[in-house]
Amino acid sequence: MAKNDLQGALDLLILKTLSQLGAMHGYGIVTHIRRVSEERIIVEEGSLYPALHRIEQNGWVSASWAVTQYGRKAKYYALTRTGREQLAEREKNWDQVAKGVQAILRFA
Amino acid sequence: MALLRRILALRRRAQLDREIEAELREHMQMCIDDSLAAGMSREEAEREARLRFGNPAVTRERVTAEDAAVGLDSLFRDLRFAVRGFVKTPGFTIIAVLTLALGIGATTAIFSIVEGVLLRPLRFPRPDQLVILTDNLRDAEAGGGKDEAGVTGPDIVNYTRNTHSFSALGGYDKHPTTYELSGIGEPAQVIATRMTPGVFAALGVHPLLGRPYTQQEDDAHQQVTVLSYATWQSRFRGDSAIIGQKILLDRKPYAVIGVMPRNFEFPLLPGHLNRSEFWIPMSFRPDELTGSTQASWAFNMVGRLKPGVTTAQARQDADRVAEETMHNYPAFMADLHINPVVRELHEDTIAHARPLIRTLFLAVAVVLLIACANLAGLLLVRAIRRRREIAVRLALGSSSATLLRQMLLESLALSLTGGLAGLALAGLALNLGTRMLPETLPLISSIGLDSSVAAFALTLAVVTGFLCGVAPAFAAIRTNVNETLKEGGRTGSSSAGHARLRSGLVIAEVAVAIVLLVASGLLLRSFVKMREADLGYRPDHTVAAAYNLPPKQYDTQTAVDRFNEELLRRAQGLPGVTSVGLTSFLPANGTSGSGAFLAEGYVPPKPGVIDFATQVLVQGDLFHAMGTPLLRGRLFTEADNNPKAQLVVIVNHQLAQQSWPGQDPIGKRLRVGTQEMQTPWATVVGEVASMKEGSPDTDPRQQLYYPIEQAETLYGSLANPTDLNGNGGFIVLRTSLLPELVENQLRATIRSLDPQLAPAQIETMEQAIGGSEAPRRFNTVLISSFAAVALLLALFGIYSVIAFTVAMRVQEMAIRMALGSQRSGIVSLVLSSGLKLAAIGCVIGLGGALFASHLLKSFVFGVSTLDTMVLTLAGCTVLLLAAAASLLPAHHAAAINPVDALRAE
Repeated sequence: MAKNDLQGALDLLILKTLSQLGAMHGYGIVTHIRRVSEERIIVEEGSLYPALHRIEQNGWVSASWAVTQYGRKAKYYALTRTGREQLAEREKNWDQVAKGVQAILRFA
Repeated sequence: MALLRRILALRRRAQLDREIEAELREHMQMCIDDSLAAGMSREEAEREARLRFGNPAVTRERVTAEDAAVGLDSLFRDLRFAVRGFVKTPGFTIIAVLTLALGIGATTAIFSIVEGVLLRPLRFPRPDQLVILTDNLRDAEAGGGKDEAGVTGPDIVNYTRNTHSFSALGGYDKHPTTYELSGIGEPAQVIATRMTPGVFAALGVHPLLGRPYTQQEDDAHQQVTVLSYATWQSRFRGDSAIIGQKILLDRKPYAVIGVMPRNFEFPLLPGHLNRSEFWIPMSFRPDELTGSTQASWAFNMVGRLKPGVTTAQARQDADRVAEETMHNYPAFMADLHINPVVRELHEDTIAHARPLIRTLFLAVAVVLLIACANLAGLLLVRAIRRRREIAVRLALGSSSATLLRQMLLESLALSLTGGLAGLALAGLALNLGTRMLPETLPLISSIGLDSSVAAFALTLAVVTGFLCGVAPAFAAIRTNVNETLKEGGRTGSSSAGHARLRSGLVIAEVAVAIVLLVASGLLLRSFVKMREADLGYRPDHTVAAAYNLPPKQYDTQTAVDRFNEELLRRAQGLPGVTSVGLTSFLPANGTSGSGAFLAEGYVPPKPGVIDFATQVLVQGDLFHAMGTPLLRGRLFTEADNNPKAQLVVIVNHQLAQQSWPGQDPIGKRLRVGTQEMQTPWATVVGEVASMKEGSPDTDPRQQLYYPIEQAETLYGSLANPTDLNGNGGFIVLRTSLLPELVENQLRATIRSLDPQLAPAQIETMEQAIGGSEAPRRFNTVLISSFAAVALLLALFGIYSVIAFTVAMRVQEMAIRMALGSQRSGIVSLVLSSGLKLAAIGCVIGLGGALFASHLLKSFVFGVSTLDTMVLTLAGCTVLLLAAAASLLPAHHAAAINPVDALRAE
């Protein structure tokens, strides 16, 4: 199994969100995760933006400035091809990690 | 890719900062917008957003860190850290940088010679097509060393006309000749080369001004000349009006028609002194094509191969022409057989210089190795001293990769500084040193610092820094955190691994220094042997002057004889002069006058082998003037100065031994020329000691002396009525005064005979020998100074290791003393540890020296490469110096006050 999968959870959430929403800005990503997880997962901005920029530097997302439907300028992120590949791999890994974590929690 | 993006991000730092700020600000705004939409007041909404966002400055920094290369940023931080460390320990820094500057500087200086002479292509267009064409004269020892003799006049004509492999081919003087330049300014002796116009065409270089001469001009004996750039500048002040003017060469008018470009040099002869200043048409004299001198291999040929033609094909082509040439040989040359040789011009030019340069390069590489070992040792000691710091940093979570990077960066920073200093040093050395280079090196003008040399130095610095840094860095990060920290304030003893590494470095240094020391010892002994070598003459109190009588004015033998006799008579009368002689050949002067001869009763080892001797025309009391002892028989007398008298010759010991081994040569007969030539027999009347012709470390050659007056008769049918004998040569004076005092009087005497005669080159024989010894002196001085540097560095290595060990073992020593150990015991303990390293290094080094001895074979003279005295001396020197280097730390150790040392913990 791959290393750093627990820390990689945020990356996975971001990549998955972008695969569901298409291009989206940081605030949109936070809001989406919060809503879909029914307020169970709240991503802090202090973690989100460093992660977003790291993912961008790795070439998994591309970014461009655009105007939101409410007339604000925002930086929109969208998955690249390598980003999609990365997402597929991480989803698979996450299943393993989740099962592993479950097994440990159930161990009596 | 990611790294590249990060580097680009670094460049756009300011813009990126603004973008990140905008992105985060908009995020806040959207958050506020949503809260407002949910019905919050603006104040509440803003507070809510700020709370959720946390500290915006921190977030901004973290985002920026992701974008702008983390790696590069920390690289600068590490560099600043390293520099701060160096400034804090100036002693270490200065020594390390100096060590490197010495090593890299020396290597770079030598490399610039290697690059200029061996590696750089010749300064002609398409130099790979340029070849030398020369004859291999079978079974003859003419020419220098090898059988390659050069080419003759008829060869030049035939090869040029009948070969098809060359797009251009030309012949030129093998040895450029001295001419008297007059008609413009002060008369002077200049060097000029006769060559056919084919040489200009083959080399593919066009004059800077004017034009080269044509084949028609050459054939028609037109007196035209092309100048070298240097001569144009120095003698004619770079005046372009020189084209078309007339100058006098040997008092014959020549029209200047061209000036060659600045870096044009041909023939490519070794040294500074032989560089041609004038090029004049070959315009063969009749005797060079059909007369006696058609058998004189006095020329060489250079050609440009047609595209696609190989040297082998060109040789076959020339072979065919040579067969034809030999077919047409006159009777007296029927025994001669030539094989043409075609070789690349560059190869031909540098062949002689290669062993010298290789040896230099090896020596300097060894010095660099020692410098590297020292630097590695220094860094290692530094790393050990910093063990606690490193342990703390590891304990606080520094990754070992970070530490490794930092330590490598430190050594790279040091080595690059050292490299730059070394480059400056090399530049300085070359500036001062190119004039000291031996006259045996070709292409001296192309030696210098250029971009490729600078690139070499910096590459060397980086590689050095990396190699020296790796071992200490790994040693440092292997630090055991727990152990080191547990030792508390104690300095503790370092691990066995570190100690082995340091000892290994020192042993290697000592070994390498020994090899160099042995080499330098062998060369020094060779030099001494050379100085002691029996020259066959006594150079002290002797002055020699060269002169050339221009044939324009001295056109008859009578005129020449009158001048020579008068010169002898007047020189004889100079105060302090004890004997005077004239000679056509002077030792240690670079000239030679080799010719064939036949000894009566001598059977050559192989049939058809021709015997050669240096044939010297003498007049006056030459042997007394030179101080050459007479071994048997008598010297020439006044009565021999007569073409009608019995023909007499004097031979040297070498010739007598070779031709009539074990017999008395007096009364034997010999004649000049070969079997087929019609020459009269002459009787040997005396045997003299063999004069060393070149440098004192050369082998003696056969020499044959005869009176100038008898030369014409001696040449028999070879003689030409228009030939002049004795119109160029040397006057040799022995004086009871300081020889320098006679020089001016001699110059004045020559002037008084012919005021137009250019000031001849006058020097004492000791100066002349000094010149011929220069190459060996150069080798010896250079290798010895390398050896000295190597020894110094090695001693420094021993000292630093022992001093460091002592510093580490202060407590141990204190305890020993507290338990009753004597101070003398402590001294011998430390001394022996230093000597042990030196002894092991010695053994390995002496082994290496034996192994390397074959490399030196061509450089030693009169000593064996396994000379026991040199080997023993080198070993003892190193052991003694090693003892001296360990003595200081030993005394420090013995001076430890046990109470203080133990209380300090």
